[in-house]
Parts: sequence; structure tokens; C-alpha cells
Amino acid sequence: MKATNVLMAGFGGQGMLLAGKVLAQAAMAKGLQVSWLPSYGPEMRGGTANVIVCISRDPIASPLVTRPDVLLAMNLPSLDRFERSVVPGGTIVVNGTLVAREASRADCRVVRVDSRALAQAAGNERAANFVMLGAYVGATGVLPEEAVEEAIADEFRDGKEKHIDTNLAAFRAGAAAGRRAAAASEVHA
Amino acid sequence: MSKVLMKGNEALGEAAIRAGCVHFFGYPITPQTEIPEYLCKRLPEVGGVFLQAESEVAAIHMVYGAAGAGVKCMTSSSSPGISLMAEGMSYLAACELPCVVINMMRAGPGLGGILPAQSDYFQATRGHGHGDYQCIVLAPASVQEAVDLMTLAFDLAEKYRNPVMVCADGMIGQMMEPVEFRSEGRGPPMAGNDWALTGCEGRPRRIVNSLHLAPEQNFAYNVRLKEKYDRAAREEVRFELYGDGRPDVLVVAFGTMARISKSAIDDLRREGRRVALFRPITLNPWPYAQCRAAMDAMPEGAKVLDVEMSMGQMIYDVKLAAEGTRTIEFLGKAGGLVPSPDEVAARIRALLP
Amino acid sequence: MGHIAIEQVRCKGCGRCVVACPKNLIEYGTELNERGYAYVIFKGSPEQCGGCTLCAVSCPDQGIEVYNSRDRKVFVNTTGLTEVMTHYCPGCTHGVVHRLVAEVLEEMGLLGRTIGIAPVGCSVLAYEYFNFDMFEAAHGRAPAVATGAKRARPDRIVFTYQGDGDLASIGGNEILHAANRGEKITVIFLNNAIYGMTGGQMAPTTMPGQKTTTTPFGRDTADTGQPLRVAEMLATLATPAFIARGTSHDAKGTLKTRKLIKEAFEHQAANRCFSFVEVLSTCPTNWGLSPNEASDWVEETMIPYYPLGILKRPAPEAVKA
Ligand SMILES: Cc1ncc(C[n+]2csc(CCOP(=O)(O)OP(=O)(O)O)c2C)c(N)n1
Ligand code: SF4
Ligand code: SF4
Ligand SMILES: [Mg+2]
Repeated sequence: MKATNVLMAGFGGQGMLLAGKVLAQAAMAKGLQVSWLPSYGPEMRGGTANVIVCISRDPIASPLVTRPDVLLAMNLPSLDRFERSVVPGGTIVVNGTLVAREASRADCRVVRVDSRALAQAAGNERAANFVMLGAYVGATGVLPEEAVEEAIADEFRDGKEKHIDTNLAAFRAGAAAGRRAAAASEVHA
Repeated sequence: MSKVLMKGNEALGEAAIRAGCVHFFGYPITPQTEIPEYLCKRLPEVGGVFLQAESEVAAIHMVYGAAGAGVKCMTSSSSPGISLMAEGMSYLAACELPCVVINMMRAGPGLGGILPAQSDYFQATRGHGHGDYQCIVLAPASVQEAVDLMTLAFDLAEKYRNPVMVCADGMIGQMMEPVEFRSEGRGPPMAGNDWALTGCEGRPRRIVNSLHLAPEQNFAYNVRLKEKYDRAAREEVRFELYGDGRPDVLVVAFGTMARISKSAIDDLRREGRRVALFRPITLNPWPYAQCRAAMDAMPEGAKVLDVEMSMGQMIYDVKLAAEGTRTIEFLGKAGGLVPSPDEVAARIRALLP
Repeated sequence: MGHIAIEQVRCKGCGRCVVACPKNLIEYGTELNERGYAYVIFKGSPEQCGGCTLCAVSCPDQGIEVYNSRDRKVFVNTTGLTEVMTHYCPGCTHGVVHRLVAEVLEEMGLLGRTIGIAPVGCSVLAYEYFNFDMFEAAHGRAPAVATGAKRARPDRIVFTYQGDGDLASIGGNEILHAANRGEKITVIFLNNAIYGMTGGQMAPTTMPGQKTTTTPFGRDTADTGQPLRVAEMLATLATPAFIARGTSHDAKGTLKTRKLIKEAFEHQAANRCFSFVEVLSTCPTNWGLSPNEASDWVEETMIPYYPLGILKRPAPEAVKA
């Protein structure tokens, strides 16, 4: 595979850092090189939280990426801020729940999901992050879906097992939406 | 052994235990706080000691006490906290006590900011406390290397009876990467020695002291320390040379900045450009001769580009290495901004013939 | 008879006013403001609201103004604070204590003559909020900086605003000696039993058994000592001083604390003695509690250990002179 750099961005508390960790963990389990670099700011609450996950066969040179191949935009400020940085031919996953406008990059594959609705349907409103991750994995096939599912289950192992099923369901719903979007020429899911 | 995905700070904490250090004294400061936070949970599991000091001043002197009592010990902090440790570092070096100090550098000066920087280079490499002393300084560029260098740090500290600083930027501390620990469980304690204060029962008493009032005696003492630093300079230099063997531009960078430069170099080499990276791993002793050899391998007129997350500190060492034989260009950003791979590439491009 | 105006953009939805209103006229909202907080709503009618101002007194964010029956403002936001919205977490009472200091200085006509000093801690950005000359200082060193400033400008009002990690841990030496020298400065000591800014580590003031990120199994006093009572310690010094402890967790306590802060600045203005007011404060974020649960925790856990009141006053002769 070609090296892939994924930028995941949202408000603090929307779980993008965790979604990024799961992606990195899954890629690592597949024998790939990974790095996970969060933006970090003052401890006080609120604000934005971004993470860059690099996945590659070869050792990763810079974990800091200014032109990502993929953007997962959980909110409007993230789309506004990073949309232009995505490489031509890249992928942009937009959280339709919170972002009213369309992505404006005609040269990118744009996948739009209503993450909250799908997460609610999966029985866990807080799992919108995994819907987004699912949409990305489903649309691009960057990793086998089972590998990511495995990593999600691992994440909730120690004492948090009760959350595994709903988070997995959210991921699968996102992945299905992503696959549909990729299949259709029209990339709105 | 299998790989685990770990945050740099936590991996450093674990690496210390694997290296046999189970005495930690420290104080919270971003972006290194995960080191004490990790160790306060983990050390009790291996019968170790975790203590949150009342300040960095106290923390480094707790290290002085523990090291003088003959255990492997460490502290960690970030720039403003390291400044407070200057006095203790001078005492540790003066009394020849082994210990490891991690500096997860953040932007300065003053309170600065919490984002990554490499602006404590002078402080680390020139012995930031008073007197003619030096620290051995190691600069990892990845989480794995940080882990590996921790073992080396404790070994060198003991071998040279000297403080060793592991100097990384906040990015290394905050980033997660797969790591492999090359040993299991709690590592070996400090080797037997004839200097630690353990109670003099059955042996002549010992003294840990840095007061030498007679100038001749103090001078002799300084000479002895200098000989030790010179030996380290001969034996411990570490570096990485990456890329073209006869480059038109040689980038010199350390830590995270070296990795970022590698991306730029990879891009340019794919275009067929001849570019290389020289990365000091030991910031002190600095690999002057090796860097000079890399420069000497370059074609006539080829340029050297020093890249740092600072306003230009290591560049003085690069100039010392060049001894006037090359022009040294500089690219740097400070304050928590980091030159991007594209910026580095653009600058290299401008220097290519 | 009265009414209140809730400024939606300022409200962080902490709900402290909901609890403070003796007539239950404020309720939690569901609409989010532009900063993403669900602001509260006044559901009462003018006949019901007595204009008691307790809601505004407990608000950390200058979010409420109160009017009486003749539509006159009875609670006006102080000009001692800028209009900048604070970065504090919802329900954090740093904001309340900022307001008290600013109100007192305004009331005493001292805003133009004051120099404030805030070292690191969540209140490091206090220079953005206090509307007068401010220093930012190194962790723990504010009393030394204040000493320098006061000795340079003895006719100015100089105060420090310090957290418990800052003052009681790293700055233990500076506060002790400033107090012992009897520096004519005022120290506002915000005790929230934790290191807030760095994400919830143990402070010297952390309660026995309290879980923090560096005491994950609860503070073990056999290993880390008992919570430090700084006010009591300083009160043992022979040097004359005004030493008091108040709280900011509820409206009643806040009003009493305002009096203590005022007296502290009066002692300084009269060039009488060192003055020190410890204020118990909430850190809902790092205590893992809701804002109102955090207030209850101050009441139930902190106050029994850190009793409120005046611990030391300068001798009456000194006050008269
Ligand atoms: C020399 C130094 N060490 C450590 C820090 C990191 N630091 C910033 S604020 C803080 C603790 C703040 O706690 P406290 O004083 O209780 O204030 P709070 O945030 O709880 O209001 C620490 C340890 C620093 N800035 N400088
Ligand atoms: S106290 Fe202030 S910030 Fe909190 S809910 Fe009431 S108006 Fe909003
Ligand atoms: S972390 Fe605690 S002290 Fe800091 S702003 Fe939040 S609630 Fe207040
Ligand atoms: Mg505090």
C-alpha cells in the first residue's frame, strides 16, 4: 500500500483521538508502521482536538503532516480549516450531523455521513467517532474492516466491555455507508 | 518481543523501569506530565519509589540524594522546570553522581508555551548550571529510539558517573508509536561501587562533596572531570547519516526536526536530487569529526542546511564542525511552530545547484 | 419584585445559579450558545423574583445582571474585569474569585493604582481578565515578584493571585518569607485541592484519600503527608498580619469572602501589614464532579478540614494608628 496520512479533527470530547488510536492500532496489528500525533493544548476543557495518523509499509519519516491524504472533519471549524490542505485525489469524510455545508473540493472523494443518527441507531450516541472511522475505512478499504473491529473491541477490554457491541455496531454502520458511497458515483451517504 | 502502541512519555517511564531505575522524583509540567502519571501507577507494581516533589528544585536534589545513596534514579521535566534544576545538575556533575534527567522541551523563553521546541539546546549542551561541567545529552527522534536511549542513558550515567540528559521535544512525548522493549521486567540495580553512601559499617567512611577550597586542589579536580568528558567525546559519539553519499545539500538536524527533514529529503531524492541528512544522536559529545567527514564528502560549493525548532542554537556546533570550510545556512522556527516537510524541501531546493 | 438578564454568550451552563436561586426561577436550558454551552433560562416572572442577586453572586462568568422593581440594576458587572470571556471550565470558581477582587478594588477606587501578579496555574491568563496592570510570574514566585514591585512602588496596591500548587508547593518558601517580612502586599490564595492546569495532580492541599492523577489510589497521608493548612501556618508567625479563609462554593460564602478580601486590601491601603485570604474553590473538571456536586464537596469535605473565618488580625492599636 501507499503511505497514508490521516488527519482527524473535531471538538475536544468528540473522540477523534480515540478513533485515531484505534486506526493506528489496527494498522499496527496488520504489520504496518504507524504514528499517532495529537495536537495538544492547555488542559482546560473545550477547544479543538486533532490527531494525525500515519500508516506506511516503510518507516515513517515525519509524523507531522501538513498535506494529509485523508481528512475526517467532525465539525465545521475542522472542515473550514483543513479542507484545502488535503492532497488532490484524497478523501474527505464530513460529519453531516454538524456540518451543514458541502465540502468544496471537487478533486477529492467526499463522503458525508450523519454520524449522530447512525450512532444513535447503533445504540450509542457517543460512538459518532467510530461511525466516521467506519465511513473512511468502508469507502477506501485502507484496512480490512475486521482489523479495525478487533482494535475497537480491544480498546474497550479492561472493564468497559459493555460498550463493545454498540461501538462495533456504530463502526459497521459507518463502514456500510462508506462502502455505499464509494460504490455510487455520487459520494453522499 | 511484541510491539505495543505507546505514548512517548509513557514509553519513557516504562523504559526507565526496564533499565533498572525504580526511583523517580518529579513535578508535573506539560508536556511531560504523563511520565510521572505513568510511573506513579507502575512503580508500586515493581517495588519502586515514586515521589511527587514540591518543586523541580527539590526533585533534582532528591535525585542527588538517591544517586549519592547508590540507586539508579531519575527525574523528568520540561523547559521551565529544567531551568530550576540547574543548580542540582551542577552539584550532581561535580560530585560525579549518576542519574538520568529527561527534558521534554517546550517553547520558551519564560513561560513560553507548551508546544514542542528545541530551544533548550544551549542549556543542555553547555551545562546549564554553574562551573566547568558537562552532561551527556541524548536526543531521540522516535518513541522507539527514546526507549532504547533510556537504557543507554542509565549505562552511560553509571559508566561516567555523570548526569545524562535525554533531550526530546514535546512531540516525542505526546506521540504514540509502536515500541518494543528489548528486555523484560525490572532491570538490574546499580553495580557495586566504592563511592555510594550506604553507611560505613565495615569500611572506611565516604564523602559526597563538591567543596574544594584550595584552588590547586579544585583545579586538579576540574582537570580530572575534563579528562572524563574528553573520554566520553572519544567513545560515546552517536549519529545517523541518511541519504546520498555525495550530497549537493547536507541537512543537519536532530530529534523530531531530523524526522521532518527526512520526509523532505525522501521527496527530493525521489526526484533524483542528491540530498542527505546528518543527525547527531549525542548532542554532547557532539559528532564534530563525523559531521565534518560528511561535509568533506560533498562536492565543491555544496551547502549545509541546519534546521532547528529554535532561533538557531545547534548551528554553532555545525559551524565548529565545518571550521569555515562550508557556508552553513539556517532554517528554524520557534515558539511552538515547527518547520513542515514542505518548508524544509523548499529551502533545500533553493540551495541545490 | 425584579428580574434578571442572562447573557447567553457568556453562560457556560454550569447551573450554579440554578441552585443559588432561593425561588427556583432559573432552569437548565437545551439550546447551545455559539461556544457550545447549553445556557440557562430565567423562567420566573417579575412578581416572583425578589432581586436578591444570589444568582449573579454565584455566577463565575459575569453572565447575569439583576434589576429591581424599578428596573434599576442592582447587580452590575464590575469594570475591574475586562469583557474577555474566561477559559475556565464551567462551574470553576476562579471566575467568582476574580470578580470579588475586581469588585473590591473598584469599590475602593484602587483600580488605577493596583499591580496584580498571577503566576502559573489555571489563572495564568488572569492578565486577560483583570482590567488593570498585571504581571505574569514564574510558578510559585509571585510573592517575591510582589515584594520587588511593592518595594519599588510602596504607594501602589500590590497583590498576588495564586493557586494551591503554586503557593503551597513550589512557592512554599516565597510565601513564608514574604509573610514573615510583613510585606505590605495582599495574597489571594485559591485552594482547590488540586493542580488544575496540568490536568489534576496532587497538591499539598489535596484531601486524604482524594484520587488525583499522581495519587491514583487516593492520597496516602502516610506517604505524602497531611493536607497543608497554609493560613494556619502563616498565622503562627510573630509578624503582624491579616490572615483569613473564605470560600467561593456558594453565594452566602462568597459574600462573606468579599468582606475578607475587602479587609485585606484595607490593611494594605493603610500600609498596616501583610494580608492573606485563602479562598476554597471548585475544580469540577479534575475532581470528576458536576459543578454543583463540586460545591457540595467543598462544603462536606474541604470546609471541615479548612475552617472558614479570620485567623489573625493586626493588633487593635495598629489598626487605630
Ligand atoms: C517551574 C514550573 N514547573 C511546573 C510548571 C507546570 N505547572 C503549571 S501550573 C501548575 C500547577 C497549578 O496548580 P495550582 O497552582 O493549584 O493552580 P490551579 O490550576 O489548580 O488553579 C504546574 C505544575 C510550570 N509552569 N513551571
Ligand atoms: S452561573 Fe452563570 S455560567 Fe453558570 S449557568 Fe448560571 S448564568 Fe450560566
Ligand atoms: S481545570 Fe479546574 S481550576 Fe482549571 S479552569 Fe477547569 S475547573 Fe477551573
Ligand atoms: Mg489548584
